[in-house]
Amino acid sequence: MRLDRLPTLRINPSETCTLHYNGKTSAGVAGDTVATALYANGVRVFGRSLKYHRPRGLYSLDGECSNTCMAVDGIPNVRAENTPAKNGMHIDAQNVQGSADFDWMGFMDKLDWLMPAGFYYRTLHKPACLWPFALKQVRKVAGLGKISPDFKMKGRYAEIYPTADVCVIGGGAAGMSAALAAAEGGLRVILLEARPWLGGSFDYRVSPYDGEKALYQRARELAAQVEAAANIRVFKHAANVGLYNNNLVTAFQVGPEGGAFDERYIEIRAASVVVATGCIERPLLFENNERPGVMQVGCAHRLARTYGLLPGRRAVFSIGHDLGLEAAVDLCDLGMEIACVADIREDGQNPDLLLALAEREIPLLRGWVAAKAYGAKQVKKVTLRTLEGSVKRQLECDLLVASAGRTPLTGPLTLAQARLRFDAHTGYFLPADLPAKMHAAGSLTGRNHPLAIEASGRLAGLKAAADCGANTAEAVAAAAARLSQLPGPERGTKLVMAPVKGRKSFICFDEDTTVKNIKQAIDMGFDVPELIKRFTSAGTGPGQGGIPGHNLPLFAARYQALAGATPVPTTARVPLVPTLLATYAGAHHDMCKRTPLDELQKRDGGVFRRIGVWQRARYFSEDFSCREEVLNVRNNVGMLDGSTLGKFRLHGPDALKALQRVYVGNMVKLTPGKIKYSAMCNEDGCVIDDGVVVKIAENDYYFTTSTVRAGETAEWFRYHTRYDGWDYHIVNFTDALGVINVSGPNARKVLQKVADADLSNEAFPFGGYREFVIQGGIPVRAMRLGFVGELSYELHAPASYMVCLWQILAAAGKEFGIRNFGVEAQNVLRMEKCHIILGVESEQRTNLLDLGLGFLWDRHKTETKTVGTVALRQVEADPARLRLVGIEMDDPRRAPRDGSILVDKRIRGYVCTARRSFTLERSVGMALVEAEMAALGTRLEIYEDECNGQKLAARVVPMPFYDPQGNRMRM
Amino acid sequence: MTRIERRSPVQFKGRIKKWEVRDNWTVALAYEDEGQGPFLVDLSHITRWDLQDKSLSRFNQPPGKEVPELPGSCRLQDGVLVTRMNRTQAVIWHLLSGAPDLPAESGYTDVSDATICLALFGPNALAVAEKLCALDFLDPGKQVPFLLQGPFSHVPCQLVLMERGRGFDGGLLLTCSRGYAESMVHAILGAGAEFGLKPAGKERFTDWLGTAFPAQDTSSRKGKPA
Amino acid sequence: MALTITCPVCGKRNGYEFRYGGEDKGPRPVEEGMTPRSWCDYVHMNACVAGVQKEWWCHKNGCGAWFTIHRNTLTNLEVEGVEVTS
Repeated sequence: MRLDRLPTLRINPSETCTLHYNGKTSAGVAGDTVATALYANGVRVFGRSLKYHRPRGLYSLDGECSNTCMAVDGIPNVRAENTPAKNGMHIDAQNVQGSADFDWMGFMDKLDWLMPAGFYYRTLHKPACLWPFALKQVRKVAGLGKISPDFKMKGRYAEIYPTADVCVIGGGAAGMSAALAAAEGGLRVILLEARPWLGGSFDYRVSPYDGEKALYQRARELAAQVEAAANIRVFKHAANVGLYNNNLVTAFQVGPEGGAFDERYIEIRAASVVVATGCIERPLLFENNERPGVMQVGCAHRLARTYGLLPGRRAVFSIGHDLGLEAAVDLCDLGMEIACVADIREDGQNPDLLLALAEREIPLLRGWVAAKAYGAKQVKKVTLRTLEGSVKRQLECDLLVASAGRTPLTGPLTLAQARLRFDAHTGYFLPADLPAKMHAAGSLTGRNHPLAIEASGRLAGLKAAADCGANTAEAVAAAAARLSQLPGPERGTKLVMAPVKGRKSFICFDEDTTVKNIKQAIDMGFDVPELIKRFTSAGTGPGQGGIPGHNLPLFAARYQALAGATPVPTTARVPLVPTLLATYAGAHHDMCKRTPLDELQKRDGGVFRRIGVWQRARYFSEDFSCREEVLNVRNNVGMLDGSTLGKFRLHGPDALKALQRVYVGNMVKLTPGKIKYSAMCNEDGCVIDDGVVVKIAENDYYFTTSTVRAGETAEWFRYHTRYDGWDYHIVNFTDALGVINVSGPNARKVLQKVADADLSNEAFPFGGYREFVIQGGIPVRAMRLGFVGELSYELHAPASYMVCLWQILAAAGKEFGIRNFGVEAQNVLRMEKCHIILGVESEQRTNLLDLGLGFLWDRHKTETKTVGTVALRQVEADPARLRLVGIEMDDPRRAPRDGSILVDKRIRGYVCTARRSFTLERSVGMALVEAEMAALGTRLEIYEDECNGQKLAARVVPMPFYDPQGNRMRM
Repeated sequence: MTRIERRSPVQFKGRIKKWEVRDNWTVALAYEDEGQGPFLVDLSHITRWDLQDKSLSRFNQPPGKEVPELPGSCRLQDGVLVTRMNRTQAVIWHLLSGAPDLPAESGYTDVSDATICLALFGPNALAVAEKLCALDFLDPGKQVPFLLQGPFSHVPCQLVLMERGRGFDGGLLLTCSRGYAESMVHAILGAGAEFGLKPAGKERFTDWLGTAFPAQDTSSRKGKPA
Repeated sequence: MALTITCPVCGKRNGYEFRYGGEDKGPRPVEEGMTPRSWCDYVHMNACVAGVQKEWWCHKNGCGAWFTIHRNTLTNLEVEGVEVTS
């Protein structure tokens, strides 16, 4: 039974959809929210409250509290009032044992005396053993939505990063006027509106705007102008969630059905911002003020005007604002019986509205307020009292429209660090000062007259344009003059709460916080709103400050009755409205790097792992000990993709100076054709990188870094030479050149088949660098290194040739049984040689000397001011440092896990890498231990996670474990 | 013997209708069903030179082929795009034909293999970009072509806005580290799906470049001072 | 990091494109005569100005330049008057 002819409707009654709720199907219409669709089907109790399992229903229709949080298609805590109904949705009520209407836990409401403010902080922790039990019980009984650990989020999420000159938050009359004014000079303007349509508080009202138009018609007129402006981008159904430094505005938008996204994250950088978020209603505090059937003025009015649903049959109004009178008149005209209107205000009502009430014979009680609502699951009766409480009257009704007044939505301003001050005239928290390039407009500033709302919007829009350099001085002056002629901010109601004790007067619905709880908190010494908030958890639920935000400070100030004290608002935080994490994650593009050989190695059975930014082949079989891969390198020949290695060209007149600054070695001694292994330290002497440097020509160098440092190397060079003004240039070759490491006793035989150069040990010895061509077409830079401890050629070739090069080598090596080895096999091989990997054999505090790499440091080049050497000199004799040592396990088949700790009575160090070595048939590794335990032969005890006290035994042994003379890599 | 060939890390799924082999590269000239735009074209094979020197004005030879002076400014002539990166660095992109040999001066480095190069152009191309980065391609204070260096889908990129049309129509060139090829293409195609973005061949790019720059001679004037 | 930072090469950009490089403490001191204390002061001690300070930033996701800006640490906003150094 919809009112389907109203011109203000935002639904299309001819288009229906079906929802599943409580075992039944409910019919909604296009444009419905989940909440309105259920309401149309007679649902009044939407869920049960957090602690007391009190029935809860529609209250604000804007999702400002958890009353109508429901599980929608398995997603918990969805705000039914803000979620468009879609065909086939499955809806479930939350925190109920049974159904929302018949909740077995309903008796909890009677136990409130057991649960004073902060009861779980104060009672359930003594004795401590009680807590786990209490926790379990509390979790069973209390809470909102439930989510299963294996829940997979559905939906399509997107993101968008527009830039704007002016961003207007709020698409009501003020926001639209601001956007139009700002856009006049051609600036780029963005308008954000939380509801699916523009219009704000004009949208559903039929009161006159001027002689000709009603408010809703004016709203549509403005909306049409906004939509027609080419330089205004409108994001509807896009709730503002954050406002940060330099006007970074964030929002999330609900997508239209069938669109490209379900929700998307919007991040806007604007030069200037206009906040025109308007007002919500200040909840009225009285007994059972959240009983289903009690709702705010806008909720009742919009149910009828926007969704075509009469909210009840017989209503009592208890209001404190002309909007309440307006709604009573309009709902009366739409066919609802209005039993009585109680207005908190003794005077000051709009005379036209008083006349309209009288014409309709609606009784008006001035200076009266609702004191208590009756009815177990829905309002049946209400007690009205005079403000001081002396006279009372009871009325039957099925709807109680209750509102203490209005309260501005200042969340964005608070986020932007604007100071709010309590304004005695309006009773609002109004901005005392705004940050640069930010403006407030509309009913947020206390104005209620429609023309004043628009004029304030226009003024703000013009000022914002001026922030962007537009010459709007004259227009600003004219707009300011116009605004000054229009009615200013209106007087607000002073009433804080009805004359009741407040045991069942809820100041926060989400957390079931009553006025009585607030009193208890204050009596215990929590005297300021921020503390009361934390102790009673008022305002910490899904609605944040929406319901208690204004009443809590007002009540705290009144209850304490401090002389001259003004109410202090609590802080708003991001996100201003509940947002799905999935929306924040957006499209969630996982950006990772792949080497040129990625596809080939996948084909060869590579098992990939994310290592830093790269995807790398870690294993080439399901045997993660890599036995075959390791032994093939030791006995034959293998190929490794080392393309992730950092590679750089450094050139220019001051290139050598730059090298000298960051490398601990002396780079003056470099000669072409020979590589130099060296390391970089930070200012504390801790090693951050190692690699090799080659001199290609005068003032022209080629060097490598570890995989993880590649991205920061250029930055590191420039940082440490930032005061010097040196003339040198860095080219990052990391991705330009791929690397294949051909290692093993047969490496030369394989490579010689395809290389156009003499690869004999004499022509190209260990430690050499050569450039040659493979198979007449592929230029390579080759290095003879021994990271894995065998004869080894590291070939650097242009990335685009890498697939081809790999195939050539694979073909050439076929007769020898060449095969891939992965990162883990390399890890074992180099560990057997005790060649370190930074970040594995070192952590942030490990310095060059700890690792036994002091030989890399040229201590005589002090004039180069090499990074880290001052610190190295200073810690050289420090005995209180960890040392890197080789360890061998007593059990040759059992290596400890990496990271296991070395203990005696306390922790004495940790295992960096340890593996069962198939080459040596021992279990060996490297560990960082306290210096006094570093002597050869020292017994060590290793404690692994979950070892149940069964420690592993090891001892310190000489390094390296394999081929100590290094003959094999020099073959 | 294995044939010597070079491979782009960008591998589109579409079926190649027409291709050519050039300088060991197999370049897709056209794909079946390239759609109505926007288009994504892989230009990773084009030769790019990095030029770094304390005084780049030394390299202003021959006359008319000056390195643009202001960082962010670009010059396009005869299919060669020169972008000024910063005080001491420029990049030379041989967009259309093969490149001559790398000049002997030590300031030059061939960096073609260091990055992927993609062209994203056509209707709503800039709306695709807006889903992937916060960089402002629509800044009215800048005139095309201009260079932006910044994160695109979280990866540092060099982006040259080549054309700006109505609304979000336009076109840009993008380079980023070669290793990101698969991720980047996946992100761009994902963001562009709602606009009908499809991979296209080099011919589509050449045609567009011809339309966007009929005279093939465009020096970006100075942008509005920040 | 919602603040904007003005890169001398790229102009005003989102703060999260940059890496912080610390307060501007002047060139590296001469190593001769450095005590552990004076070295540690240079590396680790900061003035922690409550107000405008000169500091280093790197446009790591953009052009890669290191430069200094002035930032008000109380508002976390850049202050006009940017110097170009490299």
